[in-house]
Formats: sequence, C-alpha cells, structure tokens
Amino acid sequence: MKISLNWLKDYIDLTGISDEEVISNLTMSGLEVEDYEDQAKLYDKFIIAYVKEKDKHPNADKLSLCKLTDGKVDYQVVCGAPNVAAGQRVVFAKEGAIVPNGGFQIKKAKLRGIESFGMICSESELNLSDDHSGIIVLDDSYEIGKSFAEAFGLNDVVLEIGITPNRPDALSHIGVARDLAAIFNRELKIPKVELKESAQDVNTEAAIEIIDAVDCPRYTAKVVKGVKIKESPEWMKRRLKAIGLRPINNVVDITNYVMYEAGQPLHAFDLDKVGGKKIIVRKAGADNKFVTLDSKERVIEAESLMICDGNKPVAVAGVMGGENSEISAQTENILIESAYFNPSSIRKTSKRLGLSTDASYRYERGCDPNNTLYVAERAAQLMAELGEGTILKGSIDVYPEKINEKTVRLRESRTFRILGYKIEREKIKNIILNLGMKIIAEEEDVFKILIPTYRPDIEREIDVIEEIARIHGYENIPAVERIANSLDAKIDESEFIEKARNTATSLGFYEILNNSLISEKAAELMGKSIQVLNYQSADMSNLRTSLLQGMLQTISKNIKVGEKNLRLFETGNVFIKKADIIKSFDDFSESTKLILAITGSDAEKEWHSKERAIDFYDLKGLVDSFLGNLFQNSALRDSYNEESDSIYSYYYTKESGKETVGSGGKIKKELLKQFDINQDVYCFEFDVDKLKSLLNIKSKFKELLRFPKIERDFAFIFDKNISNSEIKDYILSCKSKLLKNVRLFDLFESETFGSAKRSLAYSLEFYDENKTLTDEEVDKEFTELTLSVKKKFNAELRGI
Amino acid sequence: MLENIDSIGLDFDTELQGVKDLKQLEEIRIKYLSRNGIVAGLFEQLKNASKEEKPRLGKELNALRNSVQEKFDNLKSSIEENSSEESSKIDLTLPGRNRIIGSKHILVQTLEEMKSIFKGLGFSVFEGPELESDYNNFTALNFPLDHPARDMQDTFFITEDFLLRTHTSPVQVRVMQKVKPPIRAIMPGKVYRNEAVSSRSLCVFHQIEGLYVDKDVTFAELKGTLISFARQFYGKDLSYRFRPSFFPFTEPSAEMDITCYLCKGKGCRICKHTGWLEILGCGMVDPNVLENAGVDPEEFTGYAFGMGIERTALLKNGITDIRLFVENDYRFLKQF
Ligand SMILES: [Zn+2]
Repeated sequence: MKISLNWLKDYIDLTGISDEEVISNLTMSGLEVEDYEDQAKLYDKFIIAYVKEKDKHPNADKLSLCKLTDGKVDYQVVCGAPNVAAGQRVVFAKEGAIVPNGGFQIKKAKLRGIESFGMICSESELNLSDDHSGIIVLDDSYEIGKSFAEAFGLNDVVLEIGITPNRPDALSHIGVARDLAAIFNRELKIPKVELKESAQDVNTEAAIEIIDAVDCPRYTAKVVKGVKIKESPEWMKRRLKAIGLRPINNVVDITNYVMYEAGQPLHAFDLDKVGGKKIIVRKAGADNKFVTLDSKERVIEAESLMICDGNKPVAVAGVMGGENSEISAQTENILIESAYFNPSSIRKTSKRLGLSTDASYRYERGCDPNNTLYVAERAAQLMAELGEGTILKGSIDVYPEKINEKTVRLRESRTFRILGYKIEREKIKNIILNLGMKIIAEEEDVFKILIPTYRPDIEREIDVIEEIARIHGYENIPAVERIANSLDAKIDESEFIEKARNTATSLGFYEILNNSLISEKAAELMGKSIQVLNYQSADMSNLRTSLLQGMLQTISKNIKVGEKNLRLFETGNVFIKKADIIKSFDDFSESTKLILAITGSDAEKEWHSKERAIDFYDLKGLVDSFLGNLFQNSALRDSYNEESDSIYSYYYTKESGKETVGSGGKIKKELLKQFDINQDVYCFEFDVDKLKSLLNIKSKFKELLRFPKIERDFAFIFDKNISNSEIKDYILSCKSKLLKNVRLFDLFESETFGSAKRSLAYSLEFYDENKTLTDEEVDKEFTELTLSVKKKFNAELRGI
Repeated sequence: MLENIDSIGLDFDTELQGVKDLKQLEEIRIKYLSRNGIVAGLFEQLKNASKEEKPRLGKELNALRNSVQEKFDNLKSSIEENSSEESSKIDLTLPGRNRIIGSKHILVQTLEEMKSIFKGLGFSVFEGPELESDYNNFTALNFPLDHPARDMQDTFFITEDFLLRTHTSPVQVRVMQKVKPPIRAIMPGKVYRNEAVSSRSLCVFHQIEGLYVDKDVTFAELKGTLISFARQFYGKDLSYRFRPSFFPFTEPSAEMDITCYLCKGKGCRICKHTGWLEILGCGMVDPNVLENAGVDPEEFTGYAFGMGIERTALLKNGITDIRLFVENDYRFLKQF
C-alpha cells in the first residue's frame, strides 16, 4: 500500500524526525517499507526562473535566445517555444536535470552556434499533462529561485508499505500514523468533523433495512443533496495521484480519499437511482446476474451479500458498486454507505467473483465496526465543502447488536517469559496506551486491557505481547546464546540419504534435482499418478510416479547441448495413487527413490585408453559398488529378466527376502525416442525406504585371515546358453571344504570353438581359517572340481 | 691383511665413487663381493686367526661385509633407476589417468552445510511428506479458514483436503505429535507454490524449518541461535537485524535480514536499495499451534524458523537465474 508522507503529516507532527528515520522505524516495527519514491529527487535541478530578456536567435527563425535568472545567477538559454517572452516566470531545467518525460539529461549544448545552459519546460516534459504546445507560464505568486517540486507541492515522499494480513488497521494513513505515534510517543491527530446540516431529516429521504445481520452487522448512511459533480481540487488530486489512484470526480474521489485516510471503505450511490430510496441488505438469492461499475456482467451466487433497493441489487456488498446506481455528471443527491460486513462473507464473494478491490481487501481483513459513523460524516463534510452539497440532518445507522471491545489479560511475567527480557512496566503501559488500547484494571502482575475494535488481530495475551515487543523494538531485545546440549539420542532422518549421495558422487555421478510436477502422459508411464486440481500448465499437471521421466528429460536436454557422456543421479519423492479419490493418507503412497543413470562413453578418448561405449555391465558394476559402500553385508540377490517390458529392453532387480529394493536395465529404444534421445541409456532406481530397512541387518566383524590363500585357475569351453551364474553357483555348491571364492576372469569367443560355444576362465580361491594349506591338499580338491565341472556341463577343459 | 679391515672399507668407498654404470659396478662386485673376492678372502684368513682375536675380528669383518653390501645395493638400485628405459623416455607432461568424482547438487550442498551447523547447535533432523493434508499445512498452524493469511501462500491443491505442502512448517506439527518436548529439530524439504516460474521464483523449491520447544525458550534465545547460525554460515563480519513480521503460526513473528552481500549495505538493485537482504522468517511458536499438537502452552514455550535454500544458494554463489537449479545442465552441475 502506498502512503504519502505529506498526507501522513496531517495526522501526526513529525517535526524533527527525518524521512529516513520514519522509514526505518516503520520497517523495524512491522510496517515494512519495501520501496519509496522521493518526488523532489525526481525534480532535482528544476527551478522557478525569470525571463529577463528575449532576443531572436541570429541563425534560426524559430528559436529565441533568452537570458534567465534564478535571482542570483543568469543563464543563457536557447528556446524553441513560440510563447516564451521577457518578464515571464517559467520552470527551468538546469544543467544535470533529468527530464521526467523521456528520462534524458540536460546538458550544455550549442544550438545553431549559440550555447544554451538549460531548458525551459512544458507541462508534457514534466509529466504534468500531455500539453507540449508551449512552455508553462506561471503567475507572479511563484517565487523566483524556488525549487519546482516545492513550488508545485511535488516534494512528497511516497512509501510502498507491505502490510501483513493481520494488520487491517494499518491500511490507511491514520493507521500508519497511529503506529508512528506509538513509536515516537507523539499525539495522533484525527480530523474533527463539524457538520453544517440542513433542517431536513435524513429519514425523509432514505431508509435502510438489514435482512442479513450476520453478514452485515452495521450499515450507516448519510445523505448529501444538491452536490455539484466536478473535478476535485488540486490538493486532493495530487494526494490521490501520489498513492497511485486516478482522480475521477469530487464525489468518487472523496470516497477514495476518506478510505485511504481512515481505512473504512465507502460507497456513494446516486440516490435518485436507488428505487424506492430504500437500501435493503440481503443475500443475492435469485438475482444471479449483475452489472458492476466496470460494466461487466457478473454471475452472482445465491449466498453472496448484496446491497439492493426496493426492486433490485445496486451493489455487490463490500466488493463493487453497480452500474445502475453509479455517480454520473448529472448526479445531484448522494447516499453515502459506510458499513461493516462480515470478513469471511466478503472474502467468499470476492473469491467467487475473482474480483478483489480496495474495498473487499479491507473488508475481508476486518474493518472497525465502530467507526462507520465517523467516516460517513467525514465524507459528507467533504462533499459539502468540495461539492457545495447540503447534508441532511442526522444519519441512518442500523446496528442491531453492538460489537464490543474485547478484554485481554496480560501478565507481565508472561511477557518476560516469552521475550526473555524484562521491559519496564511503565514502558509496557505506555505502548499499550499509545496504540489506543485501554487499561481497565491493574494488579501486581496482571493488566486487564480493552482492545479497540480496529485491531481484530488482538484477541489473546500473546497478541498484546507481540505489540509490546514490536513497538519496543526487536533490536532492543538482547540476543542470548546458550550452549545447547544434545537433547536425546541423535536423530537424523536424512543421514542415510546423505551417505547414499556421498557414495554416488564418489562413483562419479553428478546430482540433479528435477521438478516433481510433470505431464500426465509422462507420469502415467510408471504408475497411476495424482493430478493437481489447479495446475498451471499441462507439462506440470501431475506428480511424478518415478524419477525416470525427469532423468530422461535431463539426459535429452544435455545431449542437445553436446554433453553426451553422462553419469547422473537424483533422489526425491514419488507419488502413486492407490484409490480413485484421495480421502486419506492411505489412498496414495509417497516414497523416496534414488535413480542412477549412465549414458554415452565410459570416458573421453584419451592417450592411454580407447573410448568405450557404456553397457549393461557398467550399470551392474556401479550398482554393486554403490550398494557395497552402503552395506558391507547386504545379502541382496540379483534377479534377471531378458524379456523387454514397457520401459526396459532387459533389466534386473535387487532382492532382499521377498522385497524388491531396486530395478534397472537398458532403457527401450521406443521410450528413448519419446524423449528424443538416440543413444543407449542405462538406469537403476532404488526404493530408498526399503534400502534403509537393510541397515537393520548388522554386519559383524570377521577375524582377519592369518593363513595364506591359494589360487587355482581353470578355463572351459562351454555351450553359450549356460550362464555365468549357473556355472559359478554350481562350482560353489560342490562339496569342497577349502574353496571359498570363485571369480570369472576371462571370457573368450573364437571361430575355432564354433558360434555356439565360448570359453570362460575362473579363478578359484582356497584357504583354511585355522592352518596353512599345502599344495597337495588344494590340488586334490581342485582336480575334483575340474572333473565335476567338465562332467556337469559337458565342457571342454582348456590348457592354461 | 686382517689388520687392514678399515682401509679395505675406505678403498671400497673410493672405488665406488668412480662408478658410472652397471658394468663398472659389476667389476667392483667381482673384486670385493664375489666368491673369490676380497671380502671372502678375509673370511678365509679369519680361520687362521688366534683364539683371542677371532671374536673381535669376526665382528669387524661382518660389519665390513654388511656395509660393503649395503653400499653396493644402494648404488646399484640408484643406477638402475636413472638408467632405466622408462625414465629416459618418460614425458611427464602427459595428462594423468583421471578418475571422475561427481558432485552433489549445489542446493543439496547448501542444505547440508546448514544442516551441519544446526546439528552442531544440538538440533536433530526430521523429514515429512510433501503431499500433505490441508489440516497439517494450514489449520494446525493457526491459519483460520477463509482468512486472507491463506493467500500468503498460493497453493497447489490435490483435493479440497489434500495439497502439496507450501512450506516445511507442517513437519513441526508432525514432530510435536511424535516426540514429547523438549524438542530441538530442523526439518529440510521440498515445498510447492502455485507461482509463475521466472528468473527469481520457482514453483517447486526447498526450505529448512527449525523448531525448539522446551520449558524456558525465549525470543532472546531465538535471536541468539539464529545469529550464531548466520555468523557460521555467512561469515562473522556481517550485520543483521530482526524486524517484526507476520506468520500465523508464530507470535511474536520476525524476519531476519543480513547486510546485502553485493553492495555491503550501500543499497543496490538486489536489496531494493535497502542495504538488507531477508534471509529467514522466525518467531515464538503460537500457543494455538502448541495446543493443536497436544503441547501445553503454559508449560512449554518454543521458537520456530524457516528459510529458503534457493535464494541463499543464489546469493552465496553469485548465480543470477534461479531456473538454473532445475535445468540440470551438466556444465552447471560440474561447477560445484
Ligand atoms: Zn544491495
């Protein structure tokens, strides 16, 4: 909200306090000044000057050569305006001035051979109007040498204050002044209203009836007759413009002016257009169409509160007036509405209409129900003054049930306990009183405080403590550092994932973070997905069901910028819908996943090694290294699947008991094509929650082997359809006491074996935990194993 | 000759000094250390020595043999090293065989740094779900129904009662329901706001939440803890300030500002000419929030705070466009 400092000074004397102090004190007490504009700076180096002489420019017909003075210094200026003449008072832009319209800087210049030291301004150049037909000629009341900003009252400083939703009281100049009064301990000056009223009673001209008193607890009206609709005076227009409002006519301007003065929205009806001269406040009911002031026809829901006349709605209560009762140039008689509406009712109507106005903004935050009469009178007074109207005697004020001020008990001891700092009792009292609260009883520790109705946010003790703290100043509460002991057993729910991240990066993976919102099509690839009701765009409509889609998108984008060799990982949550309608946490699952992905070459081409395309075994090795680092003894089983599914050409899973803790493989070409990728991609996705549960399997320390190991190698030519793991499992299953490990170390295919055969070479590791083995002992078992393998697989032993 | 053991040692040293290559060295070996060499000859003579002198001479002779052998070995390996084929041809300027080590996302690095500071201050770490109930995200945190405070956070709804959490604060509620006070915890995580994506804002981003509930937690201590954090995280020379603000779930509420990094407080475009940058929101836990979570506000008080990770990482690393965090460009990732 914009606040004009010049305007603010009507309500508080800020003598001796600089603008900077005002700004910083507002910010530091909760009314954050987000930005401000110093108009005087905008008009820096623009002054009122006097044209002493005017001659023709020797080299140009349309230019004149003038001598100006600011009372002390003379300036030679070349001017192109037709209306310039000696003896005029003009607005003069000196060297260095920046012209508001266009933003260019005035410099010393030679015009047709004659030097010019500034510019005489038109209204257009100063952004005062569009008139650029000639320079501004001022009357003699303008003091020569004075700054233009001061002379024109454009020396205002306008603040942009971010008002938090709990502070409806601060949505006006008086509201902001009230905080300043408390901060600087100065008096708040609220304009006195003295009305000259006619003999005619207001009740003879208008009537009010509230049907819905829940949503409209109070409706106050004044009537002003014989108003002349015209432009507002300059001072009012200037203030409204300063805070960003467009002046319209005196009546509309007054309602805006008073709202920004006192925070209470007002509406002015053309009384002659109010049927039956009667206002009825009721729910819209069957009146479901209504044309608002902005000439838009709106659909009104039955529960919306409407202001109606004898026959029809004339305004959407608290939101916007209707075109049918709008103030026009012909309007003479005015009914001023100053009401208090139920905040949540106005909020609902405003939301349903998608229409937020200055009025609804204030009503939904909560206005002061006990200030409507003052504000109506204030507006009536201004209409009489600025529109030559006659105020009818009295007011119509329907207020069936008075909203009383709340009382709050404040304990001094509690204030200390919350803040950790003792504010003097006198200071506490002072703050309370300066903010307009009343102390109605005072005991040793307890104050009984009456809260004014313009502060709907203050309802409890803690609310008052906050007021005391913010006015006293947070900066004046010392910072206390205590040595913190750990409170209990160390809990870090993110510890495992942090370790997993460390492991992945040590394996050369870079971490990515993707949006959890993806397109419905992508989300549905990997399970039943959940859609956001109010999504922004179709490519961010559903929650991800897997990390795979985002990963493929990332890979695709990177390949396009030339990064083709990638090792990436991501960890994050995925969401699967379990019931058609989500009514509880059981109807969907949210689980943490971690995905590893590789594509391209193992390494760049280097002097010492050839570039090698990544394949399935890279993935497998990385997955095993990853798991090996996280779990020393995870006892996970691999389960392979050569058949393709909708995602993978082939894949495998890691199993623990009956649980699958992760799966991955080679991504299908068809799927890659959807993501515009034309190189192989291998991915493996873990279920982090299941991985975490493996941490419960504790691995025990194994004594270090004190006796040497002995290795023996053999190689066989096998049928190709016999898998490595079949052979390995068989060797280990043979009853050899000394054999502890089997490792494939060579794979060889050759035409001499035929295309259906291959050679596999294994290294067998033998040892005994309790003694040194002899070659004879090992040879005996090795020979038996060799024979068993040969027999079992009908394999041909190769000489090594 | 046995009397000359010392001088034989000196002779050997002298001859060794003249050796330039393995061939010369071999000649010396034959002369001194071979089966018919000088040292072996001395041992031969030892047999004839007198009974009294034998032990002393034997000891001296062994020492000579060991010293000669050692000196010979040393020289031999040094000559071999210098004259080996490899060293004569090696190009030390060839690039090494690199092993690629990846890196964590810069946001995660930022978050982990914050986490470790708070862990040092005695905070535990808890996590909570991203798809939350409206109750936990708003109602339990003292956002009244139909109140403009709800407009402070543009929300992605899943149903009327479920939504994507707009802040990490609902984890406060979950932790208080799970753990009895005293509680001192931080809660990092992903949050969602229905806002337009631009160079300054994302609709999915990260926050870290803090909560301390105990019998005597005060606003003064909240300030102390956060200043301690800020000094560790941003550097100890910075200035900071706390100014009043509004969050429905804390009261009194505050925002903490630190001196603008870029202009050092002089005022610039980034700090909107104030010289200050807002880094976090905080306050004393509202009694309603404690009560909603089953904690007696007369017995316990608490403070809470929350801050965004993205903005912090932008500032600390001089990154200009927040969207870079989710574009996952390898060239960006590799810089951190
Ligand atoms: Zn700055």
